[in-house]
Amino acid sequence: MMNFRNATRVSGVVAAAAVTVLLIAGCSRGDGGSGETNAPSPGITDTTLSLGISSPLTGATAGPGTCTVAGLYTYLEAKNAAGGFEFGDGKTRKVNLTYLDDAYDPAKAVTNFNTLVDDGIFAYVGALGTPTNAAIMPIANEGQVPQVLLVTGASTFSQDTTANPWTLGLLPTYYTEAHTFGEFLVAAGKPITVAVLSQNDDYGKGYLNGITDAIKGSDVQIVATATYEPTDTTLDSQVTELAASGADVLVSAVSVTPLQVGVLTKAQSLGWLPRIFLPSNTSTPATILAPGNAAAYPGVYTTSLSKVPASPAFASDPDVVAYNAAFALYGAKITTTFTPHCAWSYAEGAILEQAFLGMKEPTRAAFMTALKSIKDFDAPLLLDGITVDTTQANTPAISKLILVKSSGPGYGPAGDF
Amino acid sequence: MKPKPLNRVQKLWRTATASRWVRIAFTVVVAVVLAVIPLVSSKSINGQLSTMAVYAVAILGLSIMMGYAGQVSLGQSAFLGFGAYIAAYGVNQNWPVPVIFLACLAIPALAGLLVALAAARLRGLALAMVTIALPIIGIPLAKRFSDFTGGSVGTTVSWMKVPDWAAGFLANDQWRYYVVFVIAGLLFVIGRNLVKGRIGRAFAILKENEAVAIAMGVSPYRYKVLAFTIASMFGGAAGFLYLVVYQYTSPETLSFHVSINMVASMVIGGSGSILGALLGGVYYQLVPVIAGQIDPSSTALISGAILLLVLFLVPGGIVSLPRRILQVSRHARRRIGRSATTQNPPDRALAPAATSPESTEKSERKRQGHDELP
Repeated sequence: MMNFRNATRVSGVVAAAAVTVLLIAGCSRGDGGSGETNAPSPGITDTTLSLGISSPLTGATAGPGTCTVAGLYTYLEAKNAAGGFEFGDGKTRKVNLTYLDDAYDPAKAVTNFNTLVDDGIFAYVGALGTPTNAAIMPIANEGQVPQVLLVTGASTFSQDTTANPWTLGLLPTYYTEAHTFGEFLVAAGKPITVAVLSQNDDYGKGYLNGITDAIKGSDVQIVATATYEPTDTTLDSQVTELAASGADVLVSAVSVTPLQVGVLTKAQSLGWLPRIFLPSNTSTPATILAPGNAAAYPGVYTTSLSKVPASPAFASDPDVVAYNAAFALYGAKITTTFTPHCAWSYAEGAILEQAFLGMKEPTRAAFMTALKSIKDFDAPLLLDGITVDTTQANTPAISKLILVKSSGPGYGPAGDF
Repeated sequence: MKPKPLNRVQKLWRTATASRWVRIAFTVVVAVVLAVIPLVSSKSINGQLSTMAVYAVAILGLSIMMGYAGQVSLGQSAFLGFGAYIAAYGVNQNWPVPVIFLACLAIPALAGLLVALAAARLRGLALAMVTIALPIIGIPLAKRFSDFTGGSVGTTVSWMKVPDWAAGFLANDQWRYYVVFVIAGLLFVIGRNLVKGRIGRAFAILKENEAVAIAMGVSPYRYKVLAFTIASMFGGAAGFLYLVVYQYTSPETLSFHVSINMVASMVIGGSGSILGALLGGVYYQLVPVIAGQIDPSSTALISGAILLLVLFLVPGGIVSLPRRILQVSRHARRRIGRSATTQNPPDRALAPAATSPESTEKSERKRQGHDELP
């Protein structure tokens, strides 16, 4: 009896609470996007602009991931300290960067992206990772939030600018890298045989397609191909198989450092000494060339994009001096290990600055228009001859690479084949 | 006057559990709150709540396998990813949504059944090793069959948009929230009924002692296979919900660390508990977000610290927190009751319960064990 009375009282309270809650619900949530076109977009005021990024800051890809944040942060903070960024509408604004960790998990990246947008970022910039950015792409385009200058070599992000107008990649694709190799071989103007070793997924396919397309109709010919899995422990059998072809050139598109070293040592132990072409991410002299005894080969080539700040060759380069000073002040708070991503993201800061300069209205649409009309821009830390061009449809902001040949402790100009 | 508040708490609890009306009222309140939240909160909050429900379903499957049937599985992410890929394929082939959902239940369950038929002959660590292999094989497979999966870039779909009749007053994220919560709610009811019934009792014996199970006519092999199949089915269903929330899946969804994080979340939420699985889902989603807000450069460190803290403070998982408080209070009351007859001052009688957690824990464990085997 007592229980029952209690229950009626409780349900009375419940009913009252439910009614209240429903009344609150009646006032539906404020809609973020207003219909007017000239109203300022979220994340921009007359004095500030906020950007957001989610990269892997922990886990296996933490090294490159942290660098994408540190490089960009360095450029933005140095510029803020010097007074701020000038915008096309005549105002000067400070640019803030909010960064979050996604540990290379697409689900976390989406959560982070939504959080950043809710917190009112103006644009999402410079995030590293193919699956993470692929997961964000549809949401960013649905919400019309710029998702730009992404640090990834996958072609997905710049492939279809009509379907994804709010997305833009920063780096040359894997396809472009292999295409550069092919162009170089074709330019030699003589019959050359090529063996290709690539990863058994779409990265590897990008490489194979790049080189195949570049050599079409020339005397250069692919005579042998082999694939591997990133989980393989040795590539000896693949190398032996390719060595049997006796090709003049080996394109070793291996992305795993110890495996790449293994390829270099195995081929020479078989007495096969082709010219070697390495992808830029596994071509570091100290970790690949020296342990693989690359000096045994007639030539080792790779592609390059940016100056190496630590290299003595660039010690007096004004870009490098400015970068090193600024990085010690700001970026060093986030990471102290250098990967090329630090330099790329620093250059990305300069590209953003160009876009801000061209922005006539404080809106995301105006930002995208300005960002997509940068041409022949020499971003800091990029090698001579590499310029930023965002005006080409379906290509990332940087689509050129320079072929370099290993000489002594580092890389120098490639010269002729 | 210490025992009085404890008494009141207990009375309230007893009233609450004894009266059907209050229980119904409680359910209604929770349902109303859950139904109202998406209308007033932001897109990212809705997304996060939906994600919690997604992982709660996967963790529920895991909990049925590990918590109730006592079989270790480290491969739940493989079924989550498999379910998501099936859903993505179905969307791309324009299958009707109910067909996609059923396929997401049936195909992973079938795959789980096939694996279990071979793997369930093993026990303990050997079985755990086999389940580790699933995500490890799954990732290269997902990359290899790129026509079906989209390769390492993953596959994006656009579906579960708000239907026309609701388009006027609901946004996509709100609609998806309702879809996810309704389905997750149904799955939780199914899960609850499974573990409360005959199968649940068989699982409990299987977990306790396989020899006893045989003696009681419960085939350990058959029930292990069943547990694994059920876990795979819930994994597949979670994959379906994952695709509803994210509209995207990639080989990363299958990755081993997702499995490990789910196991950790299950233990933290409360292993072998329906509510624990729900709390596990909340934990899985919330902790990295909180850690990221504190310091994005050391999320792993902060998550690890939170994990250790929870395990030290409430070893039985978050779900055991109120139960534990209640048991301590019941224990105390019983002592007081006893002391009243022996005319001891109540304060002294209460003291041991409050100062020696070891003894309460022991008796608590005994009682739990007793409750589990009726």
